[in-house]
Amino acid sequence: MDKLIEIADRAVADYGFRQAVLYGADDVARRWALSDQEKSVLESTVLQRLGALPIPVQPEDVPGEQARLAQMIRKDAQG
Amino acid sequence: MVGRMENKVVIVTGGGSGIGRATCWRLQQEGAKVVVADRNQAGAEETRDLMEGDNQNSAVSRVDISRSGQVEQMVADTVSKFGRLDGLVNGAAILIRTPPLVEVEDVDWDLTMDTNLKGTFYCCKYAIPAMLEHGGGAIVNISSMSGVRGVAYSVPYAVSKAGVIHMTKVAAAQYTHQGVRVNCIAPGGIDTPQMRGSTASAETFQERNVEHPMGRVGRPDEVANLITWLTSDEASYVSGSTYIIDGGAWALAT
Repeated sequence: MDKLIEIADRAVADYGFRQAVLYGADDVARRWALSDQEKSVLESTVLQRLGALPIPVQPEDVPGEQARLAQMIRKDAQG
Repeated sequence: MVGRMENKVVIVTGGGSGIGRATCWRLQQEGAKVVVADRNQAGAEETRDLMEGDNQNSAVSRVDISRSGQVEQMVADTVSKFGRLDGLVNGAAILIRTPPLVEVEDVDWDLTMDTNLKGTFYCCKYAIPAMLEHGGGAIVNISSMSGVRGVAYSVPYAVSKAGVIHMTKVAAAQYTHQGVRVNCIAPGGIDTPQMRGSTASAETFQERNVEHPMGRVGRPDEVANLITWLTSDEASYVSGSTYIIDGGAWALAT
């Protein structure tokens, strides 16, 4: 899940990248060669959370949001 | 209704937010039939709801412009629904912040170029034949001041937007004599979700307003006015041009 967490980290910190993930999840999964499990977590947990973030996430809130999302990804990966 | 675009059919990519949304609204105010095209279907539908009223002169197209087949279908659907295509506004783009050039990763380069440059190419490629079937039309490509001057925040974005300016010139050279005018605009800072999103903090955004010669960044509707004029017959002798619209910021800097 490291690759997915890296994608999520960037999407939290960069609104442009977030848009690419939100509206092109298939494309992102293909370009980053995500596994089926990673793609599944991307399309559920990650997209839902990214869609709810403010524009932009304020710099002081970025580490906290990244940590929260990484935790959600790891939890989902464990099923 | 003023009617400068009466009976004209226009596709606006990136119509789901920002400048694209304002352009859809403005074009429809002038009487155009507008196809709101965007990857973000919810955003496109919101735009349509904002502009629609009770008439049926608009449509939503969910399209990823980096996919040739989807763009071809978008144009075909437009002609099928409205009978013709007179205008294309290429507004869809992504802005991914990147580190300095030597550290830019292939995937960020490709992602940006595929949407901003190849996507604009596909839209022109499939729209121009449809326009020629009815004697011509007008294309407005949305570049950026990032495509005019050097910027520090994204090599792929800046290069893609410079490419859009040059594609405008080439397309104009090739199709103006057949009745398709092709122009470009290069906006500076405009208060859109993309700009707010790419500005590090609310404080930085406020600084950009304060430092601007007009004391504020631009509004999407101000850019939409220029796009609408370029799309209309009032700009009948304008082709191959790029218009900077930045409230005088570039003039002050140079």
